Amino acid sequence: MDRKKYRIMMVSDFFYPNFGGVENHIYYLSQCLLKLGHKVVVVTHAYGNRSGVRYMTGGLKVYYVPWRPFVMQNSFPTLFPSLPIIRTILIRERITIVHGHQAFSTLCHEALMHSRTMGYRVVFTDHSLYGFSDAGSIHMNKVLQFTLADVSQAICVLHTSKENTVLRSGLPPEKVFVIPNAVDTAMFKPAVVQPSRSEIVIVVISRLVYRKGADLLVEVIPDVCRLHPNVRFIVGGDGPKRVWLEEMREKHSLQDRVEMLGAVPHAQVRSVLISGHIFLNSSLTEAFCIAILEAASCGLLTVSTRVGGVPEVLPDDMIILAEPDPGDMVLAIERAISMLPKVDPQVMHHRMRELYNWHDVAKRTEIVYDRTLKCPNQNLLVRVSRYLYCGVWAGKLFFVVMIVDFLFWRLLELWQPAEDIEEMPDLTLPHISNKETLQKTE
Amino acid sequence: MDHHLASDSPQVRPRWRKVAYGGMQPGFDDNHTDESFLEGMVMNANVVRRDMLKVMLDSVSISEYLCIVALVVLVWTYTLESTIDENRLLCIDVSLLVLGFLILLFTQEKISLSILVHHYFLNISFFIMGLYVLAPIYQTLTRSISSDSIWALTVSLLVIHLFLHDYSESTVNAPGALKNPALTSCISVNASVVASVFIASRLPSRLHVFAIMLFSLQVFLFGPLVTYCIKKYSFRLHLCFSISLMVVTLSFVYMLHCLLFVLLLSLLVFVNVVCPYWLIRIQEYKFEINGPWDEAKLCFAITD
Repeated sequence: MDRKKYRIMMVSDFFYPNFGGVENHIYYLSQCLLKLGHKVVVVTHAYGNRSGVRYMTGGLKVYYVPWRPFVMQNSFPTLFPSLPIIRTILIRERITIVHGHQAFSTLCHEALMHSRTMGYRVVFTDHSLYGFSDAGSIHMNKVLQFTLADVSQAICVLHTSKENTVLRSGLPPEKVFVIPNAVDTAMFKPAVVQPSRSEIVIVVISRLVYRKGADLLVEVIPDVCRLHPNVRFIVGGDGPKRVWLEEMREKHSLQDRVEMLGAVPHAQVRSVLISGHIFLNSSLTEAFCIAILEAASCGLLTVSTRVGGVPEVLPDDMIILAEPDPGDMVLAIERAISMLPKVDPQVMHHRMRELYNWHDVAKRTEIVYDRTLKCPNQNLLVRVSRYLYCGVWAGKLFFVVMIVDFLFWRLLELWQPAEDIEEMPDLTLPHISNKETLQKTE
Repeated sequence: MDHHLASDSPQVRPRWRKVAYGGMQPGFDDNHTDESFLEGMVMNANVVRRDMLKVMLDSVSISEYLCIVALVVLVWTYTLESTIDENRLLCIDVSLLVLGFLILLFTQEKISLSILVHHYFLNISFFIMGLYVLAPIYQTLTRSISSDSIWALTVSLLVIHLFLHDYSESTVNAPGALKNPALTSCISVNASVVASVFIASRLPSRLHVFAIMLFSLQVFLFGPLVTYCIKKYSFRLHLCFSISLMVVTLSFVYMLHCLLFVLLLSLLVFVNVVCPYWLIRIQEYKFEINGPWDEAKLCFAITD
């Protein structure tokens, strides 16, 4: 089957050298798409001194556009001045599809807006859950409505996330695809020699903040230690609530049973995980908990709060869910301890390899790209009039913004014609043995 | 436990499951929207259905406080015009104090005379002594500022005070109350105290200053507590008290100036009649969405 090869531009504020869910997702997805023969370019803002063009594994080209992040790793929202650089990159790399990530990223919204003005096909992936009632969420949802008014397809990582995105943006549900994240099972292998089950070790790795349920941990850990004398805790991670956990340790004299590791760098997460039997996640809200997948891949049984999309992530015999209430969580931990003898980490790891696979994610994303290119590209007036439905005042404002963007683009076409922008020839790395790729790049 | 085996007969495809693992579900596209879509969404769960009469009765406490502030401004105006001299003002202060204590005694069943003496009386005597000692400072505080600026500042501060006032409870709580006052109610109390200081600084003698400061602070700091106690004791008493207060205020303002009377009357009508009707009209547009994506609420108190 001779599949069409695409030239994809991934754009987001969040990329390497930052570590996180979105960053990993973009990186792994790009690598798998490169292996399938497509061409992928990533556009993000500069990180410290890391500015300009860099090449990563597999020939992944990353444009670190020289803008400084201004709050929470987001670049300063400039609206129109970002059009020239996005246009240059799009023409230079001969992009066919623009793929934006994360609703919280200003760079993503701007790049998608400019790409739509210039007529490129656009796909958007949302990675978080938002509420509807506080002022920040209301503004965020309006911006999302603007961006998604004219997008071809959207991808969400979970079904709960799809419901949330559809409600926030008013997109028809048929346009939203659900393609989950995956986990690098090659990196997260269980220990060769299992830790002894005479003493049960429960691992917690998360940022110690309110959102991640650090207060629940403060209530749950003393109860479990009291009820089960052979249970030990390892708590990795740092944050404002660490003081409360230390206080809890002192108050109940649990210094030898609760070990606090502080912030754990990403490279050492596996070694912390394989020293335990059970992974505890107590977050109050979670869009897609990669930590749970990493723990399951290392062969740990997971106990988690039933929030957000967590019930969809693992089958029932690999995860035990509890309400975000200390009593319920203690009961769930007891059930996990009783289930532990039946759990074989190697079997769990092999199951995870079947359940979650980045290549599968890339193939499903390819299907979305095929669908995107089949959409008819309407003329300017039809496209821009879609923005009028965003609201009584907002719709007209968005309409005006898009018209101004279009005029600016036309001005740029006259001032810096597309013929003057040098197109980048494709680099073929010697280890890419895909014959189709070699033939198609000329 | 292999969920991805296609069923034996090719016509029956396996049911769609709301799970993320296992790759694409056979027979279904990734953008398949099941009937269970948005099943977990709850709309308008916390919205209270309001009744017009109840809202109007509740808005009486707002107009009651508006009238109290209007009376304070009246007393200020008369004092600045020297219609009321300092002795009469002192008599008003003392009678207000005694009246307030009587109401507190009457409405709080838990308070006995001994608690009253120990807790309130001692503190208030210290407070009064302190005010008397500090009166000379207030007198010369704004001597270099022009009167126009003072009137403008006072009016703005009173508007801020009315805007940010906590109409549901009092900030000076009865002993035993645990709730901390919110930021806006602290700002409103401060605004009223500063307005009183500005007015007091325009008066001729030390006794004037002391009397007017005592009067203003009594009303602004303890007035809400007294009205709260009346309201808690009996709603009927609260209603009678408010209506009589409104009548008294309107008559005094009428005697002062006709235009101000019209303004106050229209403000009271707006607060009591127009606003409840408007609130009930726009409640129909309320659309509150809750669902599994919301952040979980902890059911135990977090000591921070």
